[in-house]
Amino acid sequence: MTKKRKRYPDLNQKLERPWCYYCERDFDDLKILISHQKAKHFKCERCGRRLNTAGGLSVHMNQVHKENLTQVENAIPGRSGLDIEIFGMEGVPAEVIDQHVQDTTHKHFEEEAERARVTGNPIRGAFTNGAAPPNKRTKVKESLEEITERAAKFRIDKANGVLPAPPVEKKKSEPTPPATQTPVAPPTQTSPFPPGTQYPPPPGAPQFPPGQFPPAGPPGFVPGFGGAPPPFPPGGSPVNSAIPPRPGSIPGQPGLPQRPPFGAPPGVGYPAGTDPSIAASVDELIASATASAPSADAAPEKKSKKDKNIRLVYSEDLISPEEKMASLSRYAAFVRG
Amino acid sequence: MSAQFELAQNPSDVISAVKFAPETSTRLLVSSWDNNVYLYDTHAEPGGKLLEKFEHRAPVLDVCFGRDENEAFSCGLDWEVRRIDLSSGDQTILSTHDKPANHVLFSAAHNLLISSSWDSTLHLHDLSTPGDFYTLTLPSKPFSMSISPTKLVVAMASRHVFIYELDVLAKAAVESPAGEVPTWQRRESSMKYMTRAVACMPNDAGYASSSIEGRVAVEWFDPSEESQARKYAFKCHRQAQDGQDVVYPVHIVAFHPVHGTFASGGGDGIVALWDAAAKRRIRQYQRFPSSIATAAFSDDGKYLAVGVSPAIEDGQDDIADGAIKVFIRELTETEAQGKKK
Repeated sequence: MTKKRKRYPDLNQKLERPWCYYCERDFDDLKILISHQKAKHFKCERCGRRLNTAGGLSVHMNQVHKENLTQVENAIPGRSGLDIEIFGMEGVPAEVIDQHVQDTTHKHFEEEAERARVTGNPIRGAFTNGAAPPNKRTKVKESLEEITERAAKFRIDKANGVLPAPPVEKKKSEPTPPATQTPVAPPTQTSPFPPGTQYPPPPGAPQFPPGQFPPAGPPGFVPGFGGAPPPFPPGGSPVNSAIPPRPGSIPGQPGLPQRPPFGAPPGVGYPAGTDPSIAASVDELIASATASAPSADAAPEKKSKKDKNIRLVYSEDLISPEEKMASLSRYAAFVRG
Repeated sequence: MSAQFELAQNPSDVISAVKFAPETSTRLLVSSWDNNVYLYDTHAEPGGKLLEKFEHRAPVLDVCFGRDENEAFSCGLDWEVRRIDLSSGDQTILSTHDKPANHVLFSAAHNLLISSSWDSTLHLHDLSTPGDFYTLTLPSKPFSMSISPTKLVVAMASRHVFIYELDVLAKAAVESPAGEVPTWQRRESSMKYMTRAVACMPNDAGYASSSIEGRVAVEWFDPSEESQARKYAFKCHRQAQDGQDVVYPVHIVAFHPVHGTFASGGGDGIVALWDAAAKRRIRQYQRFPSSIATAAFSDDGKYLAVGVSPAIEDGQDDIADGAIKVFIRELTETEAQGKKK
């Protein structure tokens, strides 16, 4: 089986495709290119024999048909010379390759732009660097009450020094789903947010999942928020100030870098020389925050929303489809009673 | 590619059951709401040959083969459990329930016929004395039942699932005890919605059940904590439509007799094969024209019969001509094979 082709391959995929020196056509893989060359460019017009190279065909013409081959068939102007030995992608001069790469790249961006114009979609990859696409506000489906409630809660939490609980727990309780079930997205906690990634506001989630804290940066610099409207009330943005005072082992070290996101692989973004006891104490704090109330309400709320958005094709609870069918008029004659 | 074809002569109303003969995997019984039980030789000619048609007084809700290829049992809307002699066409009434009888099962090893009915009873027929049966009362309506080599699993309304030992049932059928027949285990369905179908693993280890809410649960008989911790349920037979999840009932689950994998068929017209142990979907077949009413593997596991009928869920009174179909799928050696260990 060949690999499934994307409808809109990206530039790298296009550049990876082998192509024919003689006619600039590109192919799914090298085998097809070679058989193309044998059929279109290295085929003897006298006997139909397919040779591997132009040189081979020339020798064949000389010896079998006593003729001289002057040019390669079906080649675009300027490429029909016999002086270059081409086999698949081998032997193509560097400047010709450069030219092809340039042309392909140019054509690719032209196509992307044209498609963006036709479909109205943003050009792929254009807005991944923290920039918001024009005219697109991040969608947060929340009523005013929910926002105020969340804001109030955040203020209380902040005042109490409670870190929002990581939402890992509820995922763990689910059994491993078979393949078809919508795969549970890997918890964001496991990977620190790369700087510059656009921050996705969790719709309807009143909590600020700690996994989505931006990684440590210079104080005041919040990566990922550039351009996008901050989905949280001003003052509540998760800069370093939101971190509660660390309980004691080393008091007063303001210069200490912020801890990487909870659950991040050890070592990542963990500067050398940081006292592990701090890490341990912060872990404790997070664990205690998890145990306390605020995490509990997020899960059921989400679940009920999920349930609402389904439609049962058959929704009786005590009557089986057969019983329902038996009550149809066309079976009335057969009902005993 | 393995071959799939549809039978040339199909029933004219909703199909209630398809069953392969125990020995010959080209002999197929089909019961239908059009009051008939059909007997086919699926490979006598292209499209299969209709060997015989057995007319009943009322829609037939289930059928199964008996001791040999010429004996069948049926039950239906007329409350009656019948024995059909497939060679002569003679029908004998074995018992009469107090409401329509929805399922029949035969255990050759125990020479026991079990019928279930919406009157919340099972009739246990000791076939050495035809006509004698023992009435076992259940707490609620049985919706589906299945047997493994040693167990009977009955899925009922109100999420009851009772598991009986066949030995105990066979004894009860003979002795007709005065007291209650002991259950081996009483469980509650692990799914929230009505249980639609249940099927036992051929290796006697457990069973799979399906609900009307696009879900299949797999459980093990072994009552130990480790085995019970292994049970799981998953969603299937759902379709996203306009941002809404349309959830179809899973009408049938059936285990492959050789590989121990199982098929599920739903109201979405899809049949999927699953590996219960590896928790993986093996394959999903191209959508059938309408709901999968029933499906069955042949005993050698070479064929899968699929009964397709519209209007099971919505209770429509008219059915388009030619919408009722029985498909026979010829499985390749490895088609239903699970993950290799």
